[in-house]
Amino acid sequence: MGKIEFGYMTRSQYTRSEDMPARFEELLQQVRLLNALGYDSFAKGNHYSSDPFYEFQQLPLLCRLMADAPDMRLIAGIVLLALHKPLEIAEYFATMDVMSGGNLVFGAALGYRDVEYKAFNIKKGTGVKRFEQNLEAIQRLWTEERVNMKGDYFELDNASVSMPCVQKPHPPIWIGANADVAVDRAARIGDAWYISAHHRKDTLCRQVEFYKRCLEKYKKPLPAEWPLRREVYISESREAAIEAVRPYLGLKYSTYHAWGQSEPMPQGDTLGLEFDDLLQNRFIFGNADQVSEEIIDYCKLLGTNNFITSCQWPGMPHSMVMENIEMFAKDVMPKVRQGL
Amino acid sequence: MDMQFGVMLRGLFDWDDDMKVRFNELMEQARLIDKLGYDCITKGSHFSTYPHQEMTQIPFLCRIMSEAPNVRLNAGIVLLALHNPMEVADYFATMDLMSGGRMIFGCALGYREVEYKAFGVEKGTGVTRFEENLEAVRRLWTDEKVSMKGTTFELEEARISVPLQQDPHPPIWIGANADVAIRRAARLGDCWYLNPHQKVETLLRQMDLYREELENYNKSFPKELPIRREVFCAPTHDEAVELAAPYIKGMYDAYKTWGQDKAMPAEDRDITQEYAELARDRFIVGDPDEVAEEYVRYNKELGVNHIIMSVQGVGMPQGQVLDTLSLVAEEVMPKVRAA
Repeated sequence: MGKIEFGYMTRSQYTRSEDMPARFEELLQQVRLLNALGYDSFAKGNHYSSDPFYEFQQLPLLCRLMADAPDMRLIAGIVLLALHKPLEIAEYFATMDVMSGGNLVFGAALGYRDVEYKAFNIKKGTGVKRFEQNLEAIQRLWTEERVNMKGDYFELDNASVSMPCVQKPHPPIWIGANADVAVDRAARIGDAWYISAHHRKDTLCRQVEFYKRCLEKYKKPLPAEWPLRREVYISESREAAIEAVRPYLGLKYSTYHAWGQSEPMPQGDTLGLEFDDLLQNRFIFGNADQVSEEIIDYCKLLGTNNFITSCQWPGMPHSMVMENIEMFAKDVMPKVRQGL
Repeated sequence: MDMQFGVMLRGLFDWDDDMKVRFNELMEQARLIDKLGYDCITKGSHFSTYPHQEMTQIPFLCRIMSEAPNVRLNAGIVLLALHNPMEVADYFATMDLMSGGRMIFGCALGYREVEYKAFGVEKGTGVTRFEENLEAVRRLWTDEKVSMKGTTFELEEARISVPLQQDPHPPIWIGANADVAIRRAARLGDCWYLNPHQKVETLLRQMDLYREELENYNKSFPKELPIRREVFCAPTHDEAVELAAPYIKGMYDAYKTWGQDKAMPAEDRDITQEYAELARDRFIVGDPDEVAEEYVRYNKELGVNHIIMSVQGVGMPQGQVLDTLSLVAEEVMPKVRAA
């Protein structure tokens, strides 16, 4: 049997008419179920001003959910690192690593939305530099007792974190990357490339080869972890699954496109498609057997050994989410393990 | 408003201490505080705390929500000039929701150079940033969509990530030491959060200033007026004094090296004096009767009705902390309520 970890991404975005305290209680139930069913990790993304959705903030949510998921790794997947100050991020995540007993994964990426860049006073064009300097500063703060470093937007003057991380040398750093240039960067500065749910499978096959060439160029060994995130929904058939999620996932992706997520996508791909075209080669829908086979196919093609599923989109009822969390654990996870 | 009893979980530990063990102890403290009927848990905020270790504020407050389901949770204080308003508004909106509307938002300027530099905030711009950030946070909490151009941010039809549970928003407490900061607290805050370092006589003078300034802005005196104090309570007076001495000295030496004394009024500046001189009217030290009397005196003289005690100095063993928490809850709280 192949060794693979299964994670779950709690996107936790909702339409603005929903009762949020009730949704939070449901989210707690989902996380308790994930923990009980033996999922290895849960992930939460990061957005500000998520119009037209409500969305729990990543860092507070991960810290609170930790209490209900004592056996799972927590994946901050991803932090919009260009927006933030490195000392803040280094300290928050060091505390989280300690509180979780060394179960934290630190995901980071550039971000792309104007409303966020403006709110954080980041001029477009300075994002990459900020991202790289921030990451370097965080790594140094995590591994050195005192740090002196002058970045363009911060100065560490004999600064320290408030406590060292539990994981040595530090929590794994997963880099989110869409465009080739970002994949190259992920190879250069990350411990792993965290592949998003957006890419088409054929694009990924090409980009994984590219990623490997980049690793070679930087004389880095193949990473221990190959995480892949996909939108997944299980029903009695592919058609039934598609019809069940159409209203929720359709809204999610038309919003991504409106937010500008298509722009950093690899050449020739866009999220500005009709739903039925969008889902081809991108999302995993079907009965448990079909879903398992599709995941096995991804693992074999791309070398994935950490598969992160998400099955909750804005407006989707809690019962559908719980059902799918359970079906995935009982009917898909064992089959995938067997098939690898 | 009835007197509220709060505890500050400062949790400052030596650099070589095992923080996984200390974290579990802090969780145990949080559970006990909740069980004993305290009203509030407070966590402060500092970055770059070497040679001490400390849990960072927001992650820690979020994590203990489940251990302490009844108490209010006070971010006391957030160093607001350092942060981005969108981030702060969003974090606290999610925290208010997850806690069922139990958050208190404390904020202040901060004073440490290492923090200002690390966050890229030039000295001299702190006050502007603080005021703009607070306005933006408040608007994000209360307005549907916010467009506002600050010196270091631009909100363009920005929206809060989840709705606030408290109406209109969590109480805004403003920490202030210097007179000018107290005037600002009167103008901008829901209340002034009185600090733990100043003597009662200084606070009395500043309270007049605070009232005067509230009147200038046609604001009524706040219903809730909180103060933080170092409290050393033991079964007998002598034990309490013995308990207090080393911690107070050690802590204030640390503050001194951080530059806290520079933010204080001139008459109060020398905080590394001998312990006896330091303790008078600045800390609450004594047996339960004496501590209860002090609580009542603070209430009568200053009008404070939420006393937040910090009990754990650097190096104080867990057993001692738990004993103090129990002693105060069982023997001080009822006496103060009765008075």
